[in-house]
Amino acid sequence: MAARWHSLSSRLFLLLLLALQPWGHAYPQANNESQLKAAYLVNFLKYVDWPEATPTATICLFGRDTLGGYLAPYETRSIAGRELRIRRVTGPDQMGDCQLLFIPESEEARYGAVLRWVERLSVLTVSDAEIFTRQGGAIALVRAEGRLQFDINVAAVSAAGLKPSSQLMRLARVVIGAAK
Amino acid sequence: MAPHGTAMNKILKHAAFLVAFQMGGATAGWCADLVEELSLEDLTKTEITSVARKTQSLASVPAAAFVISADDIARSGAQALPDVLRMVPGIEVAQIDNGRYAVTARGFNGRFANKLQVLVDGRSIYHQTFSGVMWEHDVIALNDIERIEVIRGPGAAIWGVNAVNGVINIISKHSAQQAGGFVETSIGTQGKLGLYGRYGGALSENTTWRASVQGRHAEPSKQFATGTDSEDRLESSLFDMRLDHRLGGGSDLAVWFNATRSALGDLIRVPVAPGGVFTENSRQSDASQVLAGRYRWLTAAGIESSLQLSLNSSSIELEKYFREERKTYDLDYQGRYTFASHDVLWGFSHRTSSSSAQTPGSLISLRNHDVTQRTSGVFVQDDWTLIPEKLQLGLGARWDNTNIGGSTFAPSATLIWTPSRVDTLWAKYARAPRMPSQGENNVTMWTNFQPGGASVFTRVVAGTQTLRAEKMEGLELGYRTQLSSGFNIDASVYRYRYSDRISSERGGLDASGFPNVIQNVNICNCSAGWVSGAELSADWQVLPVWRLQLSYAWTRIQMDEATDPVVQADGKQTEQSTPHHHGSLRSQWNIAPDRQFDAWLRASAGYQRLNAPYTEMIKVPGYLTLDLRYAQKLGKDFEVVLSGRNLVGPTRIEYVSDYVASVPVKVGPSLFLSTRWKF
Repeated sequence: MAARWHSLSSRLFLLLLLALQPWGHAYPQANNESQLKAAYLVNFLKYVDWPEATPTATICLFGRDTLGGYLAPYETRSIAGRELRIRRVTGPDQMGDCQLLFIPESEEARYGAVLRWVERLSVLTVSDAEIFTRQGGAIALVRAEGRLQFDINVAAVSAAGLKPSSQLMRLARVVIGAAK
Repeated sequence: MAPHGTAMNKILKHAAFLVAFQMGGATAGWCADLVEELSLEDLTKTEITSVARKTQSLASVPAAAFVISADDIARSGAQALPDVLRMVPGIEVAQIDNGRYAVTARGFNGRFANKLQVLVDGRSIYHQTFSGVMWEHDVIALNDIERIEVIRGPGAAIWGVNAVNGVINIISKHSAQQAGGFVETSIGTQGKLGLYGRYGGALSENTTWRASVQGRHAEPSKQFATGTDSEDRLESSLFDMRLDHRLGGGSDLAVWFNATRSALGDLIRVPVAPGGVFTENSRQSDASQVLAGRYRWLTAAGIESSLQLSLNSSSIELEKYFREERKTYDLDYQGRYTFASHDVLWGFSHRTSSSSAQTPGSLISLRNHDVTQRTSGVFVQDDWTLIPEKLQLGLGARWDNTNIGGSTFAPSATLIWTPSRVDTLWAKYARAPRMPSQGENNVTMWTNFQPGGASVFTRVVAGTQTLRAEKMEGLELGYRTQLSSGFNIDASVYRYRYSDRISSERGGLDASGFPNVIQNVNICNCSAGWVSGAELSADWQVLPVWRLQLSYAWTRIQMDEATDPVVQADGKQTEQSTPHHHGSLRSQWNIAPDRQFDAWLRASAGYQRLNAPYTEMIKVPGYLTLDLRYAQKLGKDFEVVLSGRNLVGPTRIEYVSDYVASVPVKVGPSLFLSTRWKF
């Protein structure tokens, strides 16, 4: 038994050693997924038109904040001519001046309520669960084929009085809610 | 043993070499500033080869909370749910045999540790006969878990009675995420076999379903003392189904059906007068069927509501000694309304659980063979934002009433201060009750044997009066920070006071059978003490493709001095039965988009446990051990996984079982080969 065990373990480690080969990539690698999500939120502000011009562009984070630290480097920067602000919100009263609202997947149980709160506001709603756009959210960040991509619910974007750029539409992985 | 030791040394050298190679192989990663400059098109093309991080700092979560993601579970190499929980700071996991575990949070571990609430999709799996979770009974397949939320410390205000030291909330994947087919097979040393299969589909655009099956098998472990086979052969099977229906307007319906069956042998040690202690095989069989439904809806006024009903029919048999059939009905309503600065949560719950038990033989006897327990509770919680984005006060209260054990009240208050976007400090005060189990109220059982000129047999006798709930009250302070975009730290300290803790005191002495003497001990609410501790977890994205996670916990129990010698002895044993330190370090490395290498270093201090049914203490040694996992994708939909557990350090025991006393078995190295196929 000891001999077999030794032989088996040696083979296991030899296999592991053989696996340790460097690997190149054609595309840049992000430090982590949350950084990518933060970068997406900032970029969405550049590719959507809001009905009213405002001096600031505010990204609001709802519920369990997992992106606040990753958005901090962008704060006070100029995005499409507006100064970027980051805020954490917990209820409907605080969402009136949000341009973009991020609802993390861990708050999935509250999608319905939060979407109701911003129903009459010009707020771009974003989450990181695929199911979000099917529940009436505007944009879902989706991990697919080893990349972070996004789906768009056009009906939700229009209902918020927002106008997505053609580039945003072209780059979306899936577009739903389009009028026939 | 020498050859085995030599093999261990070589494995250790290999491991050291691998770690060095990882360090040496470090290359400059893409730095944060460049991500900030990426265009939208660049973002859609960026490969995610980084280790997924869903266990990030949850800055707004008011408690020592730790989230285990589905990816963490897959990369842990764990075969059973308790082994996954080892990565949480403050959760003590000790393996008893092939299927049995002792799991607790912040002290008081036991075969049925009774101060931890465990929920699957909101359903409590806390067993009322034993006041604890039967971990050998698979309640959900690991592949079906979306995440596990672990909240250490008292959570009774929302989660209900028995959430004294913590809450473990297991959330299953939405069936829309599990479309198509999936098969996982695994084969391991010690005759371990595992099979998991799943298929999911859509009945309509708004209706999805998923069905999964799982089977696990293991050949017996070796007895620690003698090296011969024990009796813990494991057979476990599980069928699980979930259906989700979206109704629109924020409403949805979820239905679960779950049927599980397991059989696990045990070499138990039975004190029998006259004669002493006999060792024999007693096979334990468990079966459970659950049907549950949850309806969530949103009213026009904006109230979020959830109503959940579940029916559970279960049975357990400890061959020759104990049989029980139980039916449990649960109703849970929760409402939530967010307005102005307030986020108000309220709820009502009711449970009716009826059991019928038989106890052949003389080891165990029952005062009542048929018991029906009804428990109702209401709670309210308000999270009040005092200063937006800076200061939040949470106030909660819960009332519960049961026909066995009376009423309890559990208040809590939490203050959360977020001085900056990356810093959170919190202080939490809470009280939590722990309802006595039906076993504690009802069972008379032979527990100990002390040989000598007069051989003393100890018998625990159920009291004539119903036991009161145990009480706990305590304070927790915590700090959470993000030092850089890839480095998070989470620390907490706590001090809890326990009173009316259930123990047993000296009762009558029966010397009529001299030289065999029977010492009765009576169960009572007669113990009290303090638990103090500290916990630390750190999460470091060292490189885009490399992540390290550290967890560490320190725990100390100080029981009050007692005049009764049996209570005093129990207090001392409890103090000595807790490892003061335990921790783990996990490394996850994405070698390439199709290759993963994971390492998990785990350590625990040693401790003393009663060598039940004997009365002397036995040393459970500390350990440092290593798990490794290598996964390789072959094509888009097929994956091969090699994993090894407990690869370094001596063969050991992690626990000595007390109720029921059993022969300790070895925990040693094991290897697994798994295949995962998606279609």
